[in-house]
Amino acid sequence: MELNEIECASCGHVNPPGTQLCQSCGKMINSDYDKKKIKDLMRYDGSAIRSKTRSRSIFDKIWIFFTSIKVGVSIILLIAVAASVGTLFPQEYFIPVGADPLQYYTEHYGTLGRLYYELGFHNLYSSWWFILLMGMLALSIISASIDRGVPLYKSLKNPRAKKHPTFYRRQRLNLHDADSGSIAGVIEGLKKKGYKVKSEGRHHLLEKGRLSRWGPYINHTGLILLLFGSMLRFFPGMYVDELIYITEGETVQLPETEGEYYVENNEFIVDIYEEGGSVFDETLQNTNEVITSNYQTDITFYENQNVDVVGAQPDLQKVEDYSIRVNHPYRFDQFELYQSSYDNSQMKSMTFQLEDSNEQVIGEPFTIDLDDPDRTYDVGDGMEVNMRAYAPDFVEIDDNGALISQTPVATNPAFVFEVTDGDSSELSLLQIMLSTDITQDNEYNVRFVENENHMATVLTLKKDLTLPIIATGFGIFLIGLFIGSYINHRRIWINDEDGFSIGAHTNKNYFGLKKDIDPVLKENGYDEIFDRDATDFDEGVIIGEEK
Amino acid sequence: MESTLLSISNWLITSAFFILLVALVPLSISIRSGKKRFENTAIIMTVVAFVMQLGYFILRWTATGHAPVSNMYEFIATFSIMLILGYLITYHYYKTKVLGLFAIPVSLLLIAYGSLFSTDVNPLIPSLQSNWLAIHVITVSISYGILSMSAVAGFIYLLKAIPLNEKSWRARTLEMIMAGIVIVLVYIGTTLVMQGAVGYSDEFMYTDQRGETMVADYHLPSLVNYAEAIPVEHVGDNQYEQVDHFHAGIDLPPVINSQSLNTVLWSLILGTLVYGILRLILRKRLFAFVKPLANKADLNLMDEIGYRSVIIGFPLFALGGIFFAAIWAQIAWSRFWGWDPKETWAFITFMFYTIFLHLRLNRGYEGEKSAWLAVVGFLLILFNLIAINLIVAGLHSYA
Repeated sequence: MELNEIECASCGHVNPPGTQLCQSCGKMINSDYDKKKIKDLMRYDGSAIRSKTRSRSIFDKIWIFFTSIKVGVSIILLIAVAASVGTLFPQEYFIPVGADPLQYYTEHYGTLGRLYYELGFHNLYSSWWFILLMGMLALSIISASIDRGVPLYKSLKNPRAKKHPTFYRRQRLNLHDADSGSIAGVIEGLKKKGYKVKSEGRHHLLEKGRLSRWGPYINHTGLILLLFGSMLRFFPGMYVDELIYITEGETVQLPETEGEYYVENNEFIVDIYEEGGSVFDETLQNTNEVITSNYQTDITFYENQNVDVVGAQPDLQKVEDYSIRVNHPYRFDQFELYQSSYDNSQMKSMTFQLEDSNEQVIGEPFTIDLDDPDRTYDVGDGMEVNMRAYAPDFVEIDDNGALISQTPVATNPAFVFEVTDGDSSELSLLQIMLSTDITQDNEYNVRFVENENHMATVLTLKKDLTLPIIATGFGIFLIGLFIGSYINHRRIWINDEDGFSIGAHTNKNYFGLKKDIDPVLKENGYDEIFDRDATDFDEGVIIGEEK
Repeated sequence: MESTLLSISNWLITSAFFILLVALVPLSISIRSGKKRFENTAIIMTVVAFVMQLGYFILRWTATGHAPVSNMYEFIATFSIMLILGYLITYHYYKTKVLGLFAIPVSLLLIAYGSLFSTDVNPLIPSLQSNWLAIHVITVSISYGILSMSAVAGFIYLLKAIPLNEKSWRARTLEMIMAGIVIVLVYIGTTLVMQGAVGYSDEFMYTDQRGETMVADYHLPSLVNYAEAIPVEHVGDNQYEQVDHFHAGIDLPPVINSQSLNTVLWSLILGTLVYGILRLILRKRLFAFVKPLANKADLNLMDEIGYRSVIIGFPLFALGGIFFAAIWAQIAWSRFWGWDPKETWAFITFMFYTIFLHLRLNRGYEGEKSAWLAVVGFLLILFNLIAINLIVAGLHSYA
């Protein structure tokens, strides 16, 4: 394609290289444009689009690549297909916490699951290639918007009312009438429908809804802002996401707040729906499942007054009480505390009963606080139980006979008890579901009665400073989308140079444009406007690509 | 009081179903004869039915205290109501009757399918107790209703544009859609007969993937079942006794919902069988019988409706399905976006319509190409509305 300026043979205006329709009068001046690439000449009134005119340097080639709609659509398609693959099996963050991923996927989903894991699809949405695809989409959006936004701006900035007769005939909607007497009436009628009029002698341009044309550019700007915002998450200080585990009655320091804030869990509550005269009674009768109505942590929120004093004990000042429920997080500073889950699997205490070999109860039952056990328990009847060894999370007995604990958390407690009646004593090892005599021919037996568990709440501590940026980005995107979709850019050219001529163009919804024009034409004694595309009405002609 | 409201509400939606069914008669007469009288009757009946459906919605809302969009039946019912709304809006602008002849049956088919799920009212689990439930789901449903008009218009376009006896992929694909509709009809039919009339019920006790003991109630003979499932019978008070049930012997791991798969298999087998018999008797492609209905349609108008409903519906979907959804997710789950399967498929639906618009605006995908895309879009919506909730376990599987 030639990169020379083009002089219009009709009006003499000099146009930049690559222009298709004369910027001044709208006559076709460059008919050798690539029809495959440019579907709608009127989109930019024939203004040159960079990616369609230059293709020499490497920069041009990269530019052409990213501005291509074909490439853009392919990237979107790839992202969509990749996203769907990620839902085939659950992502890693949905599998149970602490499970070995390789083992989990192989066990649950067989060879396919293993392959899924090996390919990294268990973390698909944070994989480098998925993020790369998103980045390419961003590049494509930016370059395509500039590529087309510039000529659009040029074509919309200062539109000329005077157009060549061939321009009129090229419009999908057009009409010519020998009688030009009612032109003022037509313009007046259209003005009443909100059209703005620009006149140059006998030529008039009526326009409304120009804003619509900027819709795509506004929404693309919003998307870029959104993508930018989501990258900010990786900067330190922008994003905090922590799980906070608090047992009932406990007060913990909140991480990421530099020791400034503390939270006490006063009570964790689970409520369920119960039958009782409500409209749901029948449903509750029919189901075997328990339906939860509320998860709630009653907290007290504290501020540490000594936060600035190095090495000082925290001086907690109560700020307020709050009930954190699902959908009702607690907000402070830039943070939020959400009800995430709860845990009642950890044992708080165990109760035992001493018996003789005939299973006769001796004395009173005794309770061991697993977090802070006593050494000696006086059960009465002159009997005493001494705790000689304790492992909260028992693994094995070492060579010296001591109990080895894997963790300090009471998940699998084991005890060595010494039972003494003042004269003699005997030893036994107690584990969950298991009791082993250590000394020979034990007379007494320590029997497990019951245990009580800790109720702990799990809260999510969240700070996300990218939120306002992302929300603004998507908000701008939506505004642009609604502007571009719900407003139509309508232009009507009218002149009485040689009889009455009218041509009309819209970026979409010709149906609505005709509803604007036809009544006005009728009022002024003209025929309905001719619609080039309405002629195949009811004949079953498939609309071709070339219009 | 509340239960009275519920009864009235249920009566309203059932009556609306039959009014819509009957409205198809004057509608088709008006297309054939062109008489305005029949057209007006049909449209008035549709409006009345829609108002009754709105009545169902409002009364059920009043009775339960929350928007009736909290389980599978309610989702599908709302979607089918919004389809009628979508049609009425389209009719208001374009006065098209043919579109109604296809849109109304789609809506009826959906609501019939939806009512196979439990129609009981549920109390809300904690994460659903929010005003965003109503805002989010209703906006999405409206957008679905409008987007569906695009698919209906596209389907009519294809019916008219594709020659009946053409040996081509497009004709075969269109015929496959017809076969799909037959399979859905057969599914609805067999379920109604086996569950309702016959009362077939085989219970199996199995261990699900979380390791919990569950009981599956098969309403169709078991072809596939959960690994190590025990045939049982309920003897009252949550007690089960081992008995003998028919089982074809295919056992699958608990990751797969064998009960749903069993139903799908039966529908496929019976549906294909019915379809085959129909083809043998009629000796024509099935779309031959609906094609005459579409022949009255104006292709340009169908193309215009197909495009405009996407342009109107897509921004609403972005607003309700992504933006409102993200706000609520932030409040309820502490993150606005988490790639949960349902979220991901909403994203895919969003991306799909983005592709639709870019191809249409920049690469001239009009007419038949655009019609195909619109039909695919509807399948995506159905997949996201129904399949995701049933098949994939995630935060959204409420049903």
